[in-house]
Amino acid sequence: MSIKSAARATWAWLDDRLGIQTVMDFLKHKQIPLNRHTPWMYTGSLILMFFGLQVLTGIMLAFYYRPTLEEANKSVGEIMTKVPLGWIIRSVHSWSATFMIAIVFIHLLAIWILKSYRKPREMTWMSGALLLVFTLAFGFTGYLLPWDALSLAATKVGTDIPRSIPLIGAWGTRFLRGGEDISGDTLSRFFSFHVSVLPLCLLAALALHVYLIQKLGMSLPVGADEEAENRRVIPFWPNFVYREAVLWLVFIGALVTIAVFLPPTLGKSADLMAPAPEGIKPEWYFLFLFQMLKVFPAKILFVTGDTVAVLLILVAVVLFFFLPLIDNKPAGRKGKIITVLAFLLIVYAVAMSVWSLQTPSKPEADKIIPAPQNIKESTGIFVFLGGIWLCVAVLIYLLRLKIKETDRLLEAGYFSSDKK
Amino acid sequence: MRLKHSLFTRRQFLNGLLGGWLGGLAAIFLYPVLRFVFPPEREPEQVLLPLADYGSLEPGAIKNFAWGSKPGMLKKTAGGELIVFVSVCTHLDCNVAYLPEQKKFFCACHEGWYDENGVNIGGPPPKPLRRLVVTTEGENLVVKPEGAA
Repeated sequence: MSIKSAARATWAWLDDRLGIQTVMDFLKHKQIPLNRHTPWMYTGSLILMFFGLQVLTGIMLAFYYRPTLEEANKSVGEIMTKVPLGWIIRSVHSWSATFMIAIVFIHLLAIWILKSYRKPREMTWMSGALLLVFTLAFGFTGYLLPWDALSLAATKVGTDIPRSIPLIGAWGTRFLRGGEDISGDTLSRFFSFHVSVLPLCLLAALALHVYLIQKLGMSLPVGADEEAENRRVIPFWPNFVYREAVLWLVFIGALVTIAVFLPPTLGKSADLMAPAPEGIKPEWYFLFLFQMLKVFPAKILFVTGDTVAVLLILVAVVLFFFLPLIDNKPAGRKGKIITVLAFLLIVYAVAMSVWSLQTPSKPEADKIIPAPQNIKESTGIFVFLGGIWLCVAVLIYLLRLKIKETDRLLEAGYFSSDKK
Repeated sequence: MRLKHSLFTRRQFLNGLLGGWLGGLAAIFLYPVLRFVFPPEREPEQVLLPLADYGSLEPGAIKNFAWGSKPGMLKKTAGGELIVFVSVCTHLDCNVAYLPEQKKFFCACHEGWYDENGVNIGGPPPKPLRRLVVTTEGENLVVKPEGAA
């Protein structure tokens, strides 16, 4: 038996049991509408790719990270200075989080403005809103783990926010901190959230999200002529996947390059007794909330400003979650107010963030600034980057040939013959 | 589309290239991952032993110290010379013990024996115990790997 027929027999054996062909057939028949909104459809799979990178680099970092008061900061320092290429792995984890959250925002704003959440896709939106919450929670819990002055201060503020909610708030703060104050228990709790609770929650919501997208198919632009649109489609596999792959490669290359040249630093181990450092700021995606809490007056009528701000944010979150039920017009109708709201939100968030950046942050003394350990390592890194970009360039060239080829096959009706 | 006498169609050729370069890219990423996952064994460049604690050994006596994460032994020979071992069996990495009555090193894991100079004399060990170099500098004995400046 030749290798080829052996491979074919193995494939047939697996397919018999797993039904791979059924899945492939489904993906071949899954249709992606081609119109001016198609580019937004790449954002979803990009988020998936960055999430995958987070899982891989996160598992690697957990090999060396030790979530205790005495060891947390030290072990991150060791990852950055002692473990071979550790500073790059940490940098990729940190940058990939930033990329992922940025694209999550773009993804959700695109769907908001295109009104893709309308019937029958309300649940897809809601599961997406859950995914957003889990993603931000990943960012928040991960920020504490290096355990330097900045991360401690950010966590103090963040875990104190629930306290402003009447009745149940204080309980929420105690739950997050594992006690009245931040301690070693907070650290192990956040580590547990970050590496086991949140991944499970996120995967569950993701499964629902992806299942619904497959079940309901891709949405069409508001007011589109359905019949005309249905003629302009490409199959998910292979035509769309090849297009997606180009974007994946570009983003992987960009991510690794940025991670090498702009690695995150690490301050000294946090001191629970020390005053908060001047000019502290949370991660960029929390800046607008941070600024809002900062500028609210101490007292509004009879209640504290914090409570008002937090309650406003809560109302906004609830409205956001139920957006598809509030804007429940049929899919074909325009919705100018909703669109304007989205743009107002963008302007508000950007303005608040820029405002909060006006306070200069004081550069911390004695922090670890990662760098290649010696000339050999830095040469190796440049060779590594060159290799990646060479591969990316060649692969994009080949992928363009594949896109042309599969588009020709599609036009020739090669894929439609097996349409059921 | 296949040229006459060609073994591949154009599509097979293109798929092969695509898969090959994808594999190449994956390999590039695999290298740093493997480097990160397997840290090199780090051993101390030197260990300082205060003369106050380690200087007054009787001839034939032995004192333990930590050579990084491994145990080390400082021994004064009958002639009064100081010698240093990494007291880890060369067979399968167990820590060895010094038996003063028999003047031998013994590894209990697989019954390996070394004589008082650390030379393997019985059982499975393939090599003598690893020697380190010791010098006196001021208030300290300085222990370094063999061959280090």
